[in-house]
Amino acid sequence: MSGIPGDTVLPALPGLPALYRRAVTLAAQRAMGRGAAPSGLPAARHRVDGIRTDLAALTRFQQLLGSAARDQLPSAYLHTLAFPVAMSVLTRPDFPLPLLGMVHLSNEVHQDRQVSAFEPLDVVAYAENLRPHAAGTQLDVVTEVGAGDERVWTGRSVYLARGVRLDPAAPAERREDRPPFAAPAPTGVWKLDGGIGRRYAAVSGDWNPIHLSGPTAKALGRKAAIAHGMYLAARMVDQAVAAPSGALDWRIDFAAPVLLPGVVTTSFSRTPGGGGRIDAVGWSAKRRRPHFTGWVRAD
Amino acid sequence: MADQAGAQNTAPSPRTAVVIGGNRIPFARSSGAYAYSSNKDMLIAALDGLVARFGLQGERIGEVAAGAVLKHSRDFNLTREAVLGSALSPETPAYDLQQACATGLETVVGLSNKIKLGQIESGIAGGVDSASDAPIVVSEGLRRVLLDLSRARTTQQKIKALSALRPKDLSPNAPTTGEPRTGLSMGEHQALTTAAWDISREAQDELAYRSHRNLAAAYERGFFSDLMTPYRGLTRDANLRADTSLEKLATLKPVFGKGLDTPATMTAGNSTPLTDGAALVLLGSEEYATANNLPMLANIVDAEAAAVDFVHGEEGLLMGGVHAVPRLLERNGLTFDDFDFFEIHEAFAATVLSALAAWEDPDYCKRVLGLDGALGSIDRSKLNVNGSSLAAGHPFAATGGRIVASLAKTLSEQGGRGLISICAAGGQGVVAILEARN
Repeated sequence: MSGIPGDTVLPALPGLPALYRRAVTLAAQRAMGRGAAPSGLPAARHRVDGIRTDLAALTRFQQLLGSAARDQLPSAYLHTLAFPVAMSVLTRPDFPLPLLGMVHLSNEVHQDRQVSAFEPLDVVAYAENLRPHAAGTQLDVVTEVGAGDERVWTGRSVYLARGVRLDPAAPAERREDRPPFAAPAPTGVWKLDGGIGRRYAAVSGDWNPIHLSGPTAKALGRKAAIAHGMYLAARMVDQAVAAPSGALDWRIDFAAPVLLPGVVTTSFSRTPGGGGRIDAVGWSAKRRRPHFTGWVRAD
Repeated sequence: MADQAGAQNTAPSPRTAVVIGGNRIPFARSSGAYAYSSNKDMLIAALDGLVARFGLQGERIGEVAAGAVLKHSRDFNLTREAVLGSALSPETPAYDLQQACATGLETVVGLSNKIKLGQIESGIAGGVDSASDAPIVVSEGLRRVLLDLSRARTTQQKIKALSALRPKDLSPNAPTTGEPRTGLSMGEHQALTTAAWDISREAQDELAYRSHRNLAAAYERGFFSDLMTPYRGLTRDANLRADTSLEKLATLKPVFGKGLDTPATMTAGNSTPLTDGAALVLLGSEEYATANNLPMLANIVDAEAAAVDFVHGEEGLLMGGVHAVPRLLERNGLTFDDFDFFEIHEAFAATVLSALAAWEDPDYCKRVLGLDGALGSIDRSKLNVNGSSLAAGHPFAATGGRIVASLAKTLSEQGGRGLISICAAGGQGVVAILEARN
């Protein structure tokens, strides 16, 4: 995958713990009135070339998700691999929104072909589409994964900075009335114990404190530890299509977070006339609230 | 998709495989009479009785095939070890097979095929299961630490491996009846199917009641006298409630499907309990039976396996047999009218009732099974006439041997043709046709 002149090339994948520390420092500085938040997104694209897959880490990831430990990378694993590069964009001093507390709204992925664990990969990440949302401001974080000269995987994650207004003078967007949730016929259940956040953090490197334990989550204003969105996404994609062989498209929209420990009732169904598309829903049977909706389509 | 549709079996059947007889031990409720008996113990007990009944002491049987669903890793060669612990010739080969609850029936299918092909003259097929003496495994965390420890060379590596051990890793894991891919127990899966087919509580209790009544009646008339060997003080299936009534069954509280929007209807009375036991069938060629002056109860005609996509909600988990039966009937040019006995394994009363409802539904049969219309109705008086798993219990891998032996004996007494359908975990089902010899 060829770069664009002006790409900020990082020497290696940045470590996520250091990025989280930088986010905390930035938040503190802004709270103290120093380094006021800019109003636009940085044009920067961050890039890391020649990433090699750690086979032991890959195996741990695959086994935690219950997917077969193939020599082929799970689609969600490519997101995990690219995530530190995206995080390095979001923790730039000129990035306008506070990273901590940002809510992950959705992910949409187009994968052109399956990717082998032995291909060196290039990752580019950038942010775009800063726009108002009923509850604050949202933006897209785009990550692209390339192998050789081709782009093989593109992901677009939508994040929301709750309560942050681009133009404080503008009237707040009207919140759309959501239709009441009608649960489909269940086909399965995910029983998530209190340690799943820590175990997924260990295989994904995403040690965001809101996923690790009750106390660390409460410190950041959550009621309890919540499951990683990408954990839910990875399980959804794997369960929908067990053995992808070609292109793969998927999308997940997150609703109420999954509090840990917790039970997610799931429904997987082939979309009628959907050309092999599988629809997925995860919800809380007890609270009758959706946790996520999504779909996966394999060619 | 339908790789065998329309392919009526025109190839000449090489030879006939016959059921000579069977033997099982009474089925015990888990943690009951066989609480301390292992799978090998029970399989040998069933084998001893079969050997004694048919005078097989010192004989080299063509092959013995059996299996267990819940199996210790030390029992990797369970069936061969049971043969070595029996009075059969130690030169009798054996293999283990596992296809969940269809294990027993699949061993019958496999060995009867070998007999038909002339590869063996005789075979013993069946299975065993213990829910009491279940294998308990160490936690995944402890297992990893122990394996890493065994690979460690230096003291430093050993310390590093051990340092990964956490207190919670010390609690062991017991096996569950949960489907690995969906996380739902078999009962919860059936509850979804029960709701989808709108199977009533009353119909389920009625089926359970008939199962107990039919099994009790079979005991009363001595039907099992040459199909069973007492073991550990049991002479009858411990789960049998000869005095149960619809009123008693109606008082039981639902145990599955309580989280659904539809009323929960499945109780401990109309679901099979966890059970311990073993069952075996003696099979042979006509030449073998004649030469050894052994009875021939029934012919094993044909069999079919099917599997369904329950992961994406396309079909109910225990509906595999529903798909296998029409394929088997078509290949053999038969309809339900050609059968005198139906043995549909009662995993849950609702499993049987869902199958019956599905086969009677023309829309479902067209849309899902690819038929021209409804497959047909089954006369309840022909269904599970000597009781089935609700009354007898269901030691997973033993159920196939129990059903094949009982149906073969029924056919030898009353003539006709019988259909067996057994559902299994993983969305599977195995079905077979047996025929009387005259």
